[in-house]
Amino acid sequence: MTAAANAIKINMNEYINAAKEALSMSFIQRALISGIMLGIFSGIISVFIVLRRISFLGSGISHAAFGGVAIGFVTGINPIFTALAYSILTAIGIEQISAKGKVSEDTAIGIFFASSMALGIVLIGLSTSYNVDLHGYLFGSILAITHSDMTATIAMSLILTTVIILITKELHFITFNEELAYSSGIRVRLIKFIFITSMAIAIVTGIKLVGVILVSALLVIPGATANLITNSLFKMIIASSFITLFSIISGISISYLFNLAPGGTIVLIMSACFAAAYFLRKRY
Amino acid sequence: MNAVEIKNLTTVLNGIEVIKNINLTLEQGKFLGIVGPNGCGKTTLLRTIIGSATPLSGSVTVFGMTPKEAVKAHIFGYLPQNQNIINNFPARSMDVVLMGLYGQLGLFRWPTKKHKQKAYEMLDILGMSGLGNATFSKLSGGQKQRISIARALINNPKLLILDEPSTGIDMVGQTDFYQLLKELQNQIGLSIIMVSHDIGAITTFVDEIACINKTLYYHGNPFGALDRQVLEKLYGRKVSLVTHSDCCSQCDKNKHE
Ligand SMILES: Nc1ncnc2c1ncn2[C@@H]1O[C@H](COP(=O)(O)OP(=O)(O)OP(=O)(O)O)[C@@H](O)[C@H]1O
Ligand SMILES: [Mg+2]
Repeated sequence: MTAAANAIKINMNEYINAAKEALSMSFIQRALISGIMLGIFSGIISVFIVLRRISFLGSGISHAAFGGVAIGFVTGINPIFTALAYSILTAIGIEQISAKGKVSEDTAIGIFFASSMALGIVLIGLSTSYNVDLHGYLFGSILAITHSDMTATIAMSLILTTVIILITKELHFITFNEELAYSSGIRVRLIKFIFITSMAIAIVTGIKLVGVILVSALLVIPGATANLITNSLFKMIIASSFITLFSIISGISISYLFNLAPGGTIVLIMSACFAAAYFLRKRY
Repeated sequence: MNAVEIKNLTTVLNGIEVIKNINLTLEQGKFLGIVGPNGCGKTTLLRTIIGSATPLSGSVTVFGMTPKEAVKAHIFGYLPQNQNIINNFPARSMDVVLMGLYGQLGLFRWPTKKHKQKAYEMLDILGMSGLGNATFSKLSGGQKQRISIARALINNPKLLILDEPSTGIDMVGQTDFYQLLKELQNQIGLSIIMVSHDIGAITTFVDEIACINKTLYYHGNPFGALDRQVLEKLYGRKVSLVTHSDCCSQCDKNKHE
């Protein structure tokens, strides 16, 4: 065996030991479990976000959530709750305004997006206490997930995954054509409300993991990748969840081993999956 | 009972009066053709009937119900003019036909074998049985249209609303399609409203015709609409027409090829 190979072997052993050690640490366990739970759920809704062509709404709400986080900082309420309420209201506001037809949806999103960020910046400037974890909300703090964060993520993911699976048939039809779904008696507004609310919850949960700036990637890239590989809704859902899980698990591991930013690593792995699917897909 | 009663209907979109003071009644079991120039409000009228556009004033009743109630009672089979389906949309033709049943099935219930059998029969009737497993978004315009017609018919609607259904469908297919509509009308008393630009062809099949240009210009016997004065008023200039009679040699010739 050559010296180089030996060196690699030693290196590998080091990493395996490091990984073993990491897995026994409870903060890594919490990060992985939360990541896996969120990953299953966001993988599913990513499919519908991509198919409904509302990726931009997803990133608009993620950034708007920053305004909600800032409200939490200023009022002293848990920023996750204010972000959640703020995101849901923003999502509904965007839908309402664009439904009126006077302002197009992308314009409405652009306006909410920017003004919420602006509100966030002003509020954070106002708040005197600088002990707030602004950095954590912007870039994620997956390794600082507490036990109660994890429990909340598990509960949220189980409930919402069930809800979305139960309304998959309706979502599929609405995504296909909203007016047709309406005319056949589907309760379009109710289903859209459930979907948008679920999306907002996923965004706010995702903020903990990868931060405001990157969370929209979780909602867009896996669905878009899945849409490149298959033409079946069921397979798309499976593929999208798988890509999300793979990126989250490998992202957390790699970032820990090489001391990289976890949020960025997760999203880069997702992007690599997308690029691979894009270049390797069968060309008919 | 009347299938549709439209009274003094005015619909405004974006501040523009698209439909003005239309009065129109369709008896149950009748086949109504709607004609008129582009942008005259035909699609908007259909959308007002199904309740996806809201009137500014006047009223629409469908089998004695408001459009929204009629939607909940699964009265409509609707074929829109444009479907704008994204490329790569994950649905087979079969899935698209089954979607026609989703409203009736309701939440938390999924199509069974029986429903799939029915969907297969509908595809067969429209000559698309070979494409059940094909990805819908990758089909040709005419194939998509046929499958969409199957979707509109699968839930046994009481009122079929068709917005330019013959778009993209070949000549043989068109005659077959009109014949199918006629059969459904006679056998199950289906009421039909169909927008079409093919005045000549539809006069052969419809019971009544409505000529619309923002407001109603003519409603009655289809041959009355062929009156030059009516058409000139409607389209604003002279129109020459090719009419089909009941035994159109052209269509019969094509049919068995
Ligand atoms: N959602 C909308 N918002 C604003 N204006 C609209 C909307 N839909 C249609 N219009 C306008 O209403 C008018 C009537 O449109 P409509 O689609 O009903 O015409 P149409 O008779 O179906 O035309 P075509 O024969 O081309 O299908 C047009 O001038 C159109 O610009
Ligand atoms: Mg039209």
